[in-house]
Amino acid sequence: MKLLTKLKDALTAALMWLMPSCREALRLQSEALEHPLPPARRAGLWLHLQLCKWCRQYGRQIRFLQHAAHHHPEEFTQAAAPGLSPEARQRIREKLRASQG
Amino acid sequence: MTPVPDGIDLPRGSRTLLDCISDLTHHTFCVQTEGELPSNQPPPTNGAAPGLSDPKQWVEEHGDYLFKYALLRLRDPAKAEDAVQETFLAALKGGRGFAGRSAEKSWLVGILKNKIFDYFRKASRETSFTDLEFYADEESERFVPDGLAKDAWIHELGPGEWSHPGASLDSEVFWKTFQDCSGKLPKNVAAVFHLREVDGVDSREICALLNLSESNLWVMLHRARMALRRCLEINWFEKQGEERAPKKSLKMV
Repeated sequence: MKLLTKLKDALTAALMWLMPSCREALRLQSEALEHPLPPARRAGLWLHLQLCKWCRQYGRQIRFLQHAAHHHPEEFTQAAAPGLSPEARQRIREKLRASQG
Repeated sequence: MTPVPDGIDLPRGSRTLLDCISDLTHHTFCVQTEGELPSNQPPPTNGAAPGLSDPKQWVEEHGDYLFKYALLRLRDPAKAEDAVQETFLAALKGGRGFAGRSAEKSWLVGILKNKIFDYFRKASRETSFTDLEFYADEESERFVPDGLAKDAWIHELGPGEWSHPGASLDSEVFWKTFQDCSGKLPKNVAAVFHLREVDGVDSREICALLNLSESNLWVMLHRARMALRRCLEINWFEKQGEERAPKKSLKMV
């Protein structure tokens, strides 16, 4: 029995050594949006994600936000404040008029 | 551009992208099918055709949007105003006509985008765009500090599930919240975020534009994404079921 426990501990330790931590996994998921991860990293991350629902959730969420911002630039931009002030609007109109002069 | 889903019937006489491509050989203007052209309208020709937006109207029609676009990236109202003005001036010189507000807006945004890129190229030679301080602890208090499970999520503090996130995209308050969260990013991180996540500019191009190393860029992006995710989680997604009202002061953990 003791041997089995030892084996289990050794296996767990080995797995944890091969896999990234959650903090690492978050960083790797972000990096994966920039460039393909090297194979060993990618494999370790994949394994971690099979086992860790919080990191899976995180990845889904940052990809959702990226998709939202990228595919809805109008809504995103429009929601910004402040907009063009009346004074600034007037300044621009005048400069355009002057250039068309 | 999101593709048109299957099963959508285009109105009769609409021009598709293929029509536009074949027309390029005949030097006629290409108009995007946006549902704005009635089917009996002839294709636009050079110069000011009927139904085209008058340059005198540009400031009214597009000024506000262009200003916001510039302000989000430049973070300086005076610089944003300059950029918008230069955009309109350049557009006047360009002298092209467009039918459809959408196509015209895209064109103007394109000119503005280039002006902004020019600004970044120049500014990055004078000051550094690197910011390794923002969110440097990366929410360390939410991870196990030591032991066998070091750097694992403390379970109760891990990301919660966001139910029906897609539905949020229809909410004006959601976009306002997203905007407010991104407004909390410091200037250089915000520039990186807008270029990469909103504009989809390639990492390497951002590095060239802002004079950043790739590894610094990735760190800045990681922290921006982390911060934004957390901000939206607190200020939007955790409020499902309650009444979602924009908070006066946002918590940005």
